[in-house]
Amino acid sequence: MKINSDKLIQELLTITENARIAAEKLKSLDTFDLNRKKDAISWSILECIEHLNLYGDFYLPEIEKQLINNKGGSKSPVFKSGILGNYFANLMRVENGKLKKMKSPKDKNPANSKLTITTIDRFLKQLSLLKSLLNQSREVNLTKTKTSISLSPLIKLRLGDTFRFFVFHIERHLLQAFKVLENVDVKARATH
Amino acid sequence: MANKQGFPSDLVNSLIDAANQKIIPKGDFLLREGETEHNLYFIKTGAIRVFYLTEYEEHNIRFGYDGSFINSLSSFIKEKPSEFYIQAIRKTTLLVISKEKLREIINKNDDLLKQYCTLLETAITQQIDREIDILITSPSERLKRVLERSPTLFQHIPLKYIASYLRMKPETLSRIRKDP
Repeated sequence: MKINSDKLIQELLTITENARIAAEKLKSLDTFDLNRKKDAISWSILECIEHLNLYGDFYLPEIEKQLINNKGGSKSPVFKSGILGNYFANLMRVENGKLKKMKSPKDKNPANSKLTITTIDRFLKQLSLLKSLLNQSREVNLTKTKTSISLSPLIKLRLGDTFRFFVFHIERHLLQAFKVLENVDVKARATH
Repeated sequence: MANKQGFPSDLVNSLIDAANQKIIPKGDFLLREGETEHNLYFIKTGAIRVFYLTEYEEHNIRFGYDGSFINSLSSFIKEKPSEFYIQAIRKTTLLVISKEKLREIINKNDDLLKQYCTLLETAITQQIDREIDILITSPSERLKRVLERSPTLFQHIPLKYIASYLRMKPETLSRIRKDP
């Protein structure tokens, strides 16, 4: 997969901005709705957001570190995807508003952690940092700069793919969060 | 984490008389980042924390428990949005005084105004002590300083929050308490 670097960054910035708007909307819900779960293993809205926070805890510092190291050199007009990176990015992709079901790694499962309104505030701060990192990355080579991944320190992805994977992952779980909202039982809300 | 013993008594009594009592459940927020602080709180019983939220974690910067005053002071003084959150760690009984009421009281006479200045001076020196805390490299030394200021801290505040205040891991804090 090849794409113009500026075009890629712009597309990812747009998804990030949409994520910010979506998260602001979620902030206006009350804590009861944010913690509501369809069943014991499904995630509540706050659990979806906290899952994203946990990924951000790994990827944002890692991306920041690689931008500072700047081992990949200055920008190139085209980004070329790596085989593995492209695979991960596409795995996360949301197609026509549909989600493929997936299992999350154990250490990224937020279920049953204590979550409150600060979960969303923290996510908004991460999105702000993400936006800043995307803008900073306009000046580096998205193909030659590599980052580690959370699953294994031995595997490196091209920065462009890391961003794609990370941003699509956000989009995916926000969609999941809004679907949780849609499934809210109207009768239960009325009696609360 | 000032305690009532250090406070000028006329002022404290006037504030307490003028205040409204409020009981807040564990986990409730008194203030969130972005809101402007209009109140000063006196804690009758319970425990409160003030924290700063980053992308990655919550940093506890101040605690209040039985007999102390607490608020988001910078926001209170500047009348600008708070950078901090204030949350009840336990069910807490508070006395709430608005800024307007506080102004009324301290402007009643010179004595009360002087006492308010003393209160602010205490807050300033505590702030500087805290700045020095953070610069000290030895975790044991940081703990020692804080215990000198607030000997009953561990009776009121859970260990994980104190660890954050001291900028160390809870495991480190447990360890140095046992073997300082």
